[in-house]
Amino acid sequence: MPPSAAADSACSPPDGGWGWAVVFGAFISIGFSYAFPKSLTIYFKEIQEYFCISYSDIAWLSSVMLASMYAGGPVSSVFVNRYGSRPVVMAGGLMVSVAMVMASFGTTIMHLYLCVGVLGGLGLAFNLQPSLTIIGSYFHARRPLANGLAMTGSPVVLFTLAPLNQFLFDSLGWRGSFLVLGAIVLNCCVAGALMRPVGQILQPRAAPQSLSGGELSGGVPTDGGGKSQSCLRRFVDVSLFRHRGFLIYLIGNVIMFFGFFAPVVFLAPYAKQQGIDEYSAAFLLSIFALVDMFVRPATGLVGNARRVRPRIQYLFSFSVAYNGACHLLCPLASGYAGLALYAVFFGLAFGMLSALLFEVLMDLVGAPRFSTAVGLVTVIECGPVLLGPPLSGALVDIFGEYKYMYYACGVFMLVPGIFFFVMHYYNYKKLDEERRQSAAVVMRTSEEAA
Amino acid sequence: MIMSASWNQLFFQTTLLLVSCRHISTKTPGPTPAPLLPIGPLTNLVKTVEVRANESHTVELLERASVELVCKWAGNENKPQNVTGYWTKDGSEIKNSSVTVQLEKEQYVLKQMFTVLNETDLGNYSCVFGNEAKAEFILAVPQIGEKRDKPIIGYANDFMVIQCKIDDTKPVPTSWKWARMNGTEKEPIVAAAESRRYKIEIEERKTKLFFHKMTKADAGLYSCGAVYAIGTAYSQVELKIITFWEPLKLFIGILVEVIILVAAILIYERSQSGKQCTKENGPNPDQRNSMTQEENNDEEGGSAVRQRKV
Repeated sequence: MPPSAAADSACSPPDGGWGWAVVFGAFISIGFSYAFPKSLTIYFKEIQEYFCISYSDIAWLSSVMLASMYAGGPVSSVFVNRYGSRPVVMAGGLMVSVAMVMASFGTTIMHLYLCVGVLGGLGLAFNLQPSLTIIGSYFHARRPLANGLAMTGSPVVLFTLAPLNQFLFDSLGWRGSFLVLGAIVLNCCVAGALMRPVGQILQPRAAPQSLSGGELSGGVPTDGGGKSQSCLRRFVDVSLFRHRGFLIYLIGNVIMFFGFFAPVVFLAPYAKQQGIDEYSAAFLLSIFALVDMFVRPATGLVGNARRVRPRIQYLFSFSVAYNGACHLLCPLASGYAGLALYAVFFGLAFGMLSALLFEVLMDLVGAPRFSTAVGLVTVIECGPVLLGPPLSGALVDIFGEYKYMYYACGVFMLVPGIFFFVMHYYNYKKLDEERRQSAAVVMRTSEEAA
Repeated sequence: MIMSASWNQLFFQTTLLLVSCRHISTKTPGPTPAPLLPIGPLTNLVKTVEVRANESHTVELLERASVELVCKWAGNENKPQNVTGYWTKDGSEIKNSSVTVQLEKEQYVLKQMFTVLNETDLGNYSCVFGNEAKAEFILAVPQIGEKRDKPIIGYANDFMVIQCKIDDTKPVPTSWKWARMNGTEKEPIVAAAESRRYKIEIEERKTKLFFHKMTKADAGLYSCGAVYAIGTAYSQVELKIITFWEPLKLFIGILVEVIILVAAILIYERSQSGKQCTKENGPNPDQRNSMTQEENNDEEGGSAVRQRKV
């Protein structure tokens, strides 16, 4: 019987060995989840001409895919809790592959929306959550490093997919490319095969896995034929909404995501508006992606340092605030050199934040509840992620200048950064207090027993 | 028709007069017999260019026009009083266009009025100063900006759309026409006749050629032409037809690779003994987990027994 992810983390994480193969699998899986929707934009122009539709119609495809990916979060969590990471990732890879193959025979744009958008997005959701979850079950001491390495998949796969997609498009047109992409995405199944479940022993667990937030009620039950109560609890872990750390994370993230992606989307158009030619503007994005690629594992290493690890929330708060500061200072950058410098600093900030994004959630709620937590977080973040770029675009249209958009994004990231600093200081204090209290209780009971 | 410089002034004044009167019915005087002038005024365009060795300027023309081309040259070190200047069209010298240019205000000015009546009058006009300096004027219809150097890939038994578009900044053509290139010959495509194969859609600035069901025979070069009163601007695009077998080959190849890898990983896993739950803690047990680890160890013993019974 396949063990559930919750049971996996009941075993002590190996922190190495096969774990590194799992990290590689997660690298591929996460990479495809984030990079695949972005890399499809290369085909948009030809598809637009082929079906005789407007640009906004084809841009909807990206939005549908992203919405489906984020909304599929909770569904993915349910399956991961029930069946473990491996089957879900393999199923996800198959789903995206089938979606792309079906789309390559598509005759209308609606066909594409349903196949690539809905089914493809769902398949990618089935790749993202389990990959993140299984890292939590394989690593504890080296978890920040593992997370940082796994999240590096996103820029690396994007870097590889972009020229590959261009090559496929030039030789095969969009139909053939979709077919071949359907095959390439099957490599997510290979990544899934690597995600061997940790431990084969099923065990129910009544004790809490983490002391964060002082929530002493039971964790997610794990026996297969659970009662209806546990069934419901498996679907929506409402107790998470009473978890202090989770709430802090959720509130901060929802605000932060409004300003998270827009600067990336508008970097090239902003550069072109400053008078920079198209190729140099595209090169700015390459600089950004390259810096991002190296900063993610580096941040993982830093997060693992003995002094940083216990207070890793502060590092995350710093990275959020740093992002905000970067955007607020961006309008001061003049000329190509200034923008290139901004791209470097932004790459640093973005990479730091991405590497820590899920690590801090794991740190707050603990590995067993992470799967459910990340599902809830992604479905709630769906809103700001989808609304962010169009709202920023509207700001640009209203004012005719990009600097107000950058100021807005800067504020949307600086404020959560400061919020995180303050709230986590308070949270850490509370946690230390609770730990002291429960340590005292254990001491007393052991004394009484003796 | 090309006018010699000596008639320049006269014609210029005549044209102005005629334009202001809004009708033209006279024949153009000149050494060669003139064609009949069309009804309608000629637009006057004056294009001034300062020469600095091999400069080239494009003049966009839509309809019949009278264009005055002016070349200014600052001269070289010698700065003689007189310099011979003449005009060339497409490389060959225009007869009777040679004049002596005086040095005025430290520069030489060479002017010439050209009438452009049909497509043959378009081309590369150059003014040459005594074999030392020259400038080029390209008189042409507005070009179709979007150049497609890579071929469009289409699939057999599929439908396809090829599009040609003229920039929003350029004027609207009077009509569009499509042709298929057979070597250097253009075979015009008439949609009405073979309506089962093609369909042509024309909007003001765009035109689309639809193929209903493509076959391998449809592959080749196609050219779309934006028709203006004075001439046509062409743009070419190559259409390649492939069957679904081409991408399918690649698909099957990658599928085989994936299956092999997945099988290898699963077989490797089965060949190893089942991974046991490790009871030892890592080198740096986190404080947060230390409590729960102890509780876990207590639970594990009990549940393991229970498990074995099941």
